[in-house]
Amino acid sequence: MVNRAQVRRAKPKKVDTCKQATTLILTYLMGELDSKTTRSFEEHLMICPDCVAFLNTYKKTIQFTKSLQYDEIPNEMKKRVKEFLRNKIKLDPDNR
Amino acid sequence: MIPKRHIRPKKTSSEKSQLSSNEERLLIERVKAGDQKAFEAIFSLYVSRVYRQALKLVGNEADANDVVQEVFLLVYRKANSFLGKSEFSTWLYRLTANAALTKLRQIKREKVVSLDEYMPKFRKDGHHLVRPVADWTQDIENLVSIMESRQIIQQAIDQLSPIDKAVVVMSDLEELSNPEISKTLGISVQAVKARLHRARLFLRGRLTSHFGYSPT
Ligand SMILES: [Zn+2]
Repeated sequence: MVNRAQVRRAKPKKVDTCKQATTLILTYLMGELDSKTTRSFEEHLMICPDCVAFLNTYKKTIQFTKSLQYDEIPNEMKKRVKEFLRNKIKLDPDNR
Repeated sequence: MIPKRHIRPKKTSSEKSQLSSNEERLLIERVKAGDQKAFEAIFSLYVSRVYRQALKLVGNEADANDVVQEVFLLVYRKANSFLGKSEFSTWLYRLTANAALTKLRQIKREKVVSLDEYMPKFRKDGHHLVRPVADWTQDIENLVSIMESRQIIQQAIDQLSPIDKAVVVMSDLEELSNPEISKTLGISVQAVKARLHRARLFLRGRLTSHFGYSPT
């Protein structure tokens, strides 16, 4: 639910430095930069290999985070918790 | 990126076939009336999802177990406070997030690291302080296995403050939109973005120094 109106109202920024570019990365990747700022951001990338490298590593970092694996709940735990809840509720059905 | 509109955490293979929202509503009504069979049906339907959500935040099986117990007790006891204005899964998601965050705040982090050390630094004229900025994405396959990089990321995520960790988990792992994260955590969208960006810069910095380059 991007607030389009708000995005549109944001004043376009001119990207002159790496510092400015770095600040805008998140918004840029979310597609929430206005078109003028996007163009200015991309123009900076064209002349700045440092910011290209920075953006690449930033994106790769997100990719690694997204690829983290988490185990499923062990069946034995599922049974144990179910039993725990069953007893708790039986003992105390009106505590709600 | 496509705007994400509803909290619909990814389903896991072990989850039973989904109920229609009408069937689900009827089931919740029965839980509200104190029907234990209906409660157990809700438990079976959602326990895997709740566990995984909790595990991502608290980071270990034992604490995730506690969160699952806590959440389903709350579901039973507080079913009446679920008014049906949002989807049940959204209500449950927020209940779990709160319980997991409370748990996470009780867990002592091994060591508190300074995020600042891993932030990019700039010269007065606004250029990167250390140049050239290393693009280690090119040498991942050769230098370090992907598994190792994931381990670094996981360790770094565990070093974040509870609220920063929650923002990263919800955004990058659960793929919630910024407004949804804002509502779930009770912080502004602007704060979500600021925390997410800073946390990602920290994770990037940790990976960068792992590869032998200056994180700044
Ligand atoms: Zn630059």
